[in-house]
Amino acid sequence: MGVNRNISLSAALQYKGRDPYWTYILHRIGGSALFIFFTMYILVLVGVDSVNAIFSNWLFQIFMLVFGLFHAINGLRITILDLWPNLIEHYRQAINIEWMVYALICGFAIFVVLRNAMGG
Amino acid sequence: MATRTLPLSKRGFNFETTMWIFTRFTVIAMYGLILAGLIGALIMSARTGANLADILYWAFFPNLSGNPLGAYIGVTILAKLMVVAFVLVVSGHGVHGVLEILDDYFTSAFARRWSRNFIITYAIVANLIAIYVIWTS
Repeated sequence: MGVNRNISLSAALQYKGRDPYWTYILHRIGGSALFIFFTMYILVLVGVDSVNAIFSNWLFQIFMLVFGLFHAINGLRITILDLWPNLIEHYRQAINIEWMVYALICGFAIFVVLRNAMGG
Repeated sequence: MATRTLPLSKRGFNFETTMWIFTRFTVIAMYGLILAGLIGALIMSARTGANLADILYWAFFPNLSGNPLGAYIGVTILAKLMVVAFVLVVSGHGVHGVLEILDDYFTSAFARRWSRNFIITYAIVANLIAIYVIWTS
């Protein structure tokens, strides 16, 4: 039985957990976004053609890239720190490295999507 | 900062520990399958002269008409097995992740039990559809 936690959104946003807290929140948003993507993928497999229009929309692609890539890169960091617990002491540096890797990969991916969207 | 680690032998093999290991290993499995898939698609696009994007699209969205791998039956079967494995790993990882999120919001035992029933049923149905379509495409 879980604990009932009634915390308002504004109170949650004021929590000063900084980077670890934000990665936690973004990881959950990314996971939920990927779950929606998986559902849409199944719909495409069963032949719901209208979903293809959503997949080819550049706004949807950017949304999935921003949150999906973060989930993938953050998941790798969590896995590395979990499997090599001695590295937990350097978790802040690990998050900083993660932000840099994420910015590079996500920036490049968004550039490619936007270039295609503009007919480049 | 002192690290707090507990050896696996002292954690006990309960549901939480098993799913913790499963979630971490499925991350590694997904990265491995993506890497193997990309390298395989690069090799096969060079060998068949097919477009790399077509091979990737055919692999992950099997509604594309025609098989860009052509007469390479063994590779076609391997590609399908890899995609099926990827879907199973993704759904296993995802179902556990969604359950963790739902558990944070559903606090009553009744709601938790039914959210689990729903999400596990969803995963089984979605996997069966995916495996059928991927294998028969």
